[in-house]
Amino acid sequence: MTNLTAPNTLDERIREALALALQVSPDTIITELSFGDIPQWDSMGHMEVMMRLEEFFGIEINTDTISTLTSVAAIRAYLENSH
Amino acid sequence: MTSLTQKIHFAPAFPIPDYLVGEVQSKLAYVDENIRAAQVSPNGDDIQLTFGNAIDEEEKKLIESKVQRVVTSLVKGAFKPKVQILEDYLDRPLPYREDPMAELLRRGELSEEASGVYALGPLLTRLINWFESRFVALADSFSAQPYRFPTLIPARYMERVGYFRAFPHSLSFATHLHSELDNIDQFAQHAACDEQGNLNVPMERFAQFKALLSPAVCYHLYFALADKPLPNGRVTATAVGNCFRYESSNLTSLERLWNFTMREVIFVGPKEFVLENREIARQRMQKVFAEIGLAYRVESANDPFFIGEFRKQVAFQSAFQLKYEIRARLPFKDSTLAVGSYNYHQDFFGRHLNITLPDGSPTHTGCVAFGLERIAFAFLAQFGFDTAKWPKVIKESI
Repeated sequence: MTNLTAPNTLDERIREALALALQVSPDTIITELSFGDIPQWDSMGHMEVMMRLEEFFGIEINTDTISTLTSVAAIRAYLENSH
Repeated sequence: MTSLTQKIHFAPAFPIPDYLVGEVQSKLAYVDENIRAAQVSPNGDDIQLTFGNAIDEEEKKLIESKVQRVVTSLVKGAFKPKVQILEDYLDRPLPYREDPMAELLRRGELSEEASGVYALGPLLTRLINWFESRFVALADSFSAQPYRFPTLIPARYMERVGYFRAFPHSLSFATHLHSELDNIDQFAQHAACDEQGNLNVPMERFAQFKALLSPAVCYHLYFALADKPLPNGRVTATAVGNCFRYESSNLTSLERLWNFTMREVIFVGPKEFVLENREIARQRMQKVFAEIGLAYRVESANDPFFIGEFRKQVAFQSAFQLKYEIRARLPFKDSTLAVGSYNYHQDFFGRHLNITLPDGSPTHTGCVAFGLERIAFAFLAQFGFDTAKWPKVIKESI
């Protein structure tokens, strides 16, 4: 398992956004983490994640994209491509 | 007798987008018990409430603030749902355009026992039996095992699956008198209903609520499977049952009942098993509806979550295509009515109820559900009462 500890601003901001959205420690937000892996990342948690990402990164996530952003890795790839 | 009604208008705190007009309107029924009707203008910039009594300025302010809470909760930051249409046969030719309610009442086919509670007569019962035979045939085509479930459902089960947070507005509770001789004796001597039908008994005579009237059929199966590995890694079941969803002033005709009946075919197992069978069920029902010439559409939908969870749950259901409704055309009002649904819950029940697959992962669930009173009502709204104009397959069976 890989911790998102590299001094990468994008990774740090993702970790911060997801930790806030899911109300867990930032240490829990590892690259391999996916929807359903922890109780907090359920359907309601997932939508909290989407709203936090919109707020943190000033983006608008459409309904088609919501179903694809189901892992930290997928979120990272999406944000990299949209900036 | 003069009826005192009052209407008030105001602008919503946020413009209500067209895809939320119906949702906001239905939720406004729960703002205040005196609201008889709530209307949101089609362009979402005006709200009208009709009250059964006169209200003063202070009450008006309080009600407006509650209305704005509802609007803000549903509208602010809402994700626009993705509308997906899987089947569209709304333009099938139909021989009837009247509201069947008046004729049903005239014929004594319906007896309203309370708001949203009806006794049904022989015609409706035979129609429901015909549709039931088709739904049971669908279940048999999957070799679904038959189950019978109780009308009551324990409160602790509903708590475990988060039902109280998601659908508090539609709950119906069951209780009984405290088992104490003087209490029962006092009740027997003094219990009486007032003119509105309210049982005039202090709440302290009743025991704490441990049970509710069940809002759905499939929950009983999931609870029966809870906290153990899934037998053989998959279960297909079917059951019919009474369901209860209180809808306040939204309760109207057979379209929206407090007490209704649902037939469900339920799939429990791996993700692919559930999704494949949901799709096969849809294709098989498509043939049944074609056989009778029903005008309907199958489109993506959401459950009627209450305001707290609405925005997020609806967006989630839409994004993951969890729910599709069979919406039958109601020609008399140029509208549609949900008569059934194809549902996928992902591993929600598997995780919350600890139902596991052989590999230890939580099971997935899905169900196909049909509202029996609604399908009979929609049929009569489309084909009327002249059996000569009915589809041959139903005419010959009834």
